Amino acid sequence: MKNGPLFLLGILAALLFSWAGIVLGSNAQLGALPAYYDANDSLSYPRRQPGIAAEGQIVYRELLCSSCHTQQVRRPDFGSDVARGWGERQSVARDYIYQAAVQLGASRNGPDLTNLAGRKPSAPDAADLMNLLYAGQGGMPAYRFLFETRRIVGQESAAALRLTGSLRPRPGCQVVPTRRAQELVAYLLSLNTTYDYPESKPAPAQNPEQK
Amino acid sequence: MTSANPQANPNDETPVEATGRCPIVLLLAFSLAWLLVSGTLAFIAGVQAHTPAFMAGCPILTYGHTRALQDTAFTYGWIANCGLALVTWILGRLGGHPLRAANWMGVGALFWNIAVAAGMVGIATGSATALTSLQIPGHIQPLMLAAYASIAVAGVLAWCGRSRPSLYAAQWYGVALLFLFPWIFSVAQVMLVWAPVHGVLQAIVEGWYAQSLWTLWMAPIALAGAYYVVPRVTGRVIPGYDLALLGFWSLIFIGGWTGGRHLIGGPVPAWIPTIAIVASVLLLPHYIIVLLNLGGAFTRNPADREGGRSLAFISFGLAAYVLGGAVDSVTGIRSVAAAIQFTWFDEAQRQLAVYGGVTMMLFGTLYYALPRLAGRAWASASLARGHLILSCIGIVLLVVGTAGAGIVQGSDLSTAGVSFAAIATDVHPWLSVGSVAHATLLLGNILLAINFAMTVGCGRLRAAAEALSS
Repeated sequence: MKNGPLFLLGILAALLFSWAGIVLGSNAQLGALPAYYDANDSLSYPRRQPGIAAEGQIVYRELLCSSCHTQQVRRPDFGSDVARGWGERQSVARDYIYQAAVQLGASRNGPDLTNLAGRKPSAPDAADLMNLLYAGQGGMPAYRFLFETRRIVGQESAAALRLTGSLRPRPGCQVVPTRRAQELVAYLLSLNTTYDYPESKPAPAQNPEQK
Repeated sequence: MTSANPQANPNDETPVEATGRCPIVLLLAFSLAWLLVSGTLAFIAGVQAHTPAFMAGCPILTYGHTRALQDTAFTYGWIANCGLALVTWILGRLGGHPLRAANWMGVGALFWNIAVAAGMVGIATGSATALTSLQIPGHIQPLMLAAYASIAVAGVLAWCGRSRPSLYAAQWYGVALLFLFPWIFSVAQVMLVWAPVHGVLQAIVEGWYAQSLWTLWMAPIALAGAYYVVPRVTGRVIPGYDLALLGFWSLIFIGGWTGGRHLIGGPVPAWIPTIAIVASVLLLPHYIIVLLNLGGAFTRNPADREGGRSLAFISFGLAAYVLGGAVDSVTGIRSVAAAIQFTWFDEAQRQLAVYGGVTMMLFGTLYYALPRLAGRAWASASLARGHLILSCIGIVLLVVGTAGAGIVQGSDLSTAGVSFAAIATDVHPWLSVGSVAHATLLLGNILLAINFAMTVGCGRLRAAAEALSS
C-alpha cells in the first residue's frame, strides 16, 4: 500500500459507511416520530413534562444518576423487568420524543426508573423519595447535600422531612429539601409510561410464528 | 542499576529525537500524571461501589461523578496523551526525517491538557453531559478538537514526508487514528451536544461514538505501538504480514458497526443490535490476524532484558485484547445478553479491553520508546519489574472480581424476588476484590511514574552538569 490519498479516502469511506448505516439509517426511521393522538381521550401521548420536572431532569443529569439507574423497560421475556413491576410493557422509542437529554443508562446498580410514578400496585410519593434521597438505602448513598438543616422559626415548614430514629434532627431544627431536591423529585414523579401505544402492545408469546 | 547493561543504552538515536524530544516527553509526562489521577479516582469509585457511604457527603465526588471523572482522566488524559506521543514518535521514526511542527505539538499538548483539566472541573461541578465516554462539558469540546489537531500535525507531516513510499502496519494504524478521532469526535459533538438528535436517536449516536472511540481510536493506538515494537525486539519479520492489511481494514470497516450491542432489548429498532451482533462476530478474524502477526511477542530472548520487558507487557496486552474480542462476540448472543446486561460484567469487559489490552500494550511501547527518547536506559530495573508484576496481578484481580460481581448481579436481577439491598450484599465481596485491584494498579503506576521521573529528570541533571563543566 503506497498511495497516501487513496488510503485516506479508504478510512474516510469506512467511517462514513458505519455512520451512514447506523446514524442516518436510524434517523430516517425515527427522526420524525410524532406523538400519538388518542381520539378517545382527545389527548396526544407522551405528555410533555411540567417545567419543574424539566429542571429536575437537569439535576438528574448533573448528579449522573444514570450511572446506576436505567430508564428502559425490556419486554416481558427479556429479563425480569416486567416481573419486578417496573412497567407493564416494554419501553418504545415514542416514550422519549420530548426528552431533551435521553438517559437510557447502562447499569442497574439500582432499579429502573422509566415508569417510577406509574408503578402498580403502589408508586412512591414525594415524601418517600425525599426520605430515600436523604437517608440512602441498601446500595444507594445518601444525598445529604440536597437538604438543609434549619432552625424552626415560627411554624415548621410544610416541606420538612418526617424523619424517625437516628435521622431525626435536633429539637428545634428541621430538615428541608433544597430547590434542587424538589426539582429532582418532581422529575422522578413525572416518569410515567403507563399509556399503551399500538406498537408497545407485546406480541402474544404463545404463538412463535407471529413476529 | 541497569545503566551498565549494553542493551539498555541504545545508540540508535534518529533525527526524530533531536527535534521531537521535548513535546513527546511533555505529552508522556502529562499522560502519567493523568494515569495517577485516574487510578486514585478509580480506587475511590471502587470503594463507593461496595460502600456507598464513602465520601457520599461530598457533592463533587458522588459515585456518578467519580466514575465520570475517572473515565475522562483515563481516556482523554492517559490514553490520548500517551498514545499521541508514542504514535507521533513511531510515525517520525518510520518517516526517516527530523520531526517537523514540534512546536505545534508542544502548544497543542498544553491546550489539550488545559481542556481536559477544565473538563474535569466541569464534571465535578455538575456540567457533565451524561453521555458515555463523552462526559466533558460541551463548551470545552471545541478546544479539545483544536488542540488535538495541533498535536496531530507533526505525525501527519512525518507521514506525508516519509522517505519510503510504502507503508508499514504501524503507519496504517497510526495515521488512521490521527484522522479518525477528530471525525468521530466532531460528529458526536454536533449530533449530541450542539444540535441533539431526536429522542432515542441520542442513545444510538452515543453508542456509535463510544464504540468508534474504542475500535477506531484506542485499539489502533495500541496496535500501532505493538506492530512497531514487536518485530524490532524479536528481530524477526512479522509472520503472515500479507494478512495484516486485511486485519486493519476489517477493524476500520466493521468496528464502528458494533456499538449497538448495548442496546439489545432497548427501545430502538431491532436491526441496530442485530447488526452489532453480526459485526462483532465478523470482527473475530481481525483478532485472529493480530494474534498471528504479533504472536512472536510471547517468545523472548533472555539476553535482552529491556526488550523482554516491553514484550512482557505487549504479550499480556495482546492476550487481553484478543480475549476481549472473543468475549464481545459471545456476550452479543441474546440469551447471554439478557443475563448480564446492565451488570458489572459490562465494566469487566471494558476494563479487560482498555486496561488489560490497550494500556498494557501502551506500557510495552513506552518501555521501548523512553530509553531512545531520553538517550539513557530506564533508571531502575526493579521498579519496572515491580510495575509489571503489580499490573498483571491488578488486571487479573480487577477483571475476575468485576466479572464475578456481574454474574452474581445478573442472576439476582433475573429473579424478581431479590431486592436491591440483597443484591448489594451479594456483590459486596466481589467488588471488594475490585477495589483491592485498583489499589494494586495504582501502586504499580506510582512505581512507573517514579521511574519515569528518575529517567527523564536524571538525564536532564546530567546534561546540565556536563554543560557547566565543559
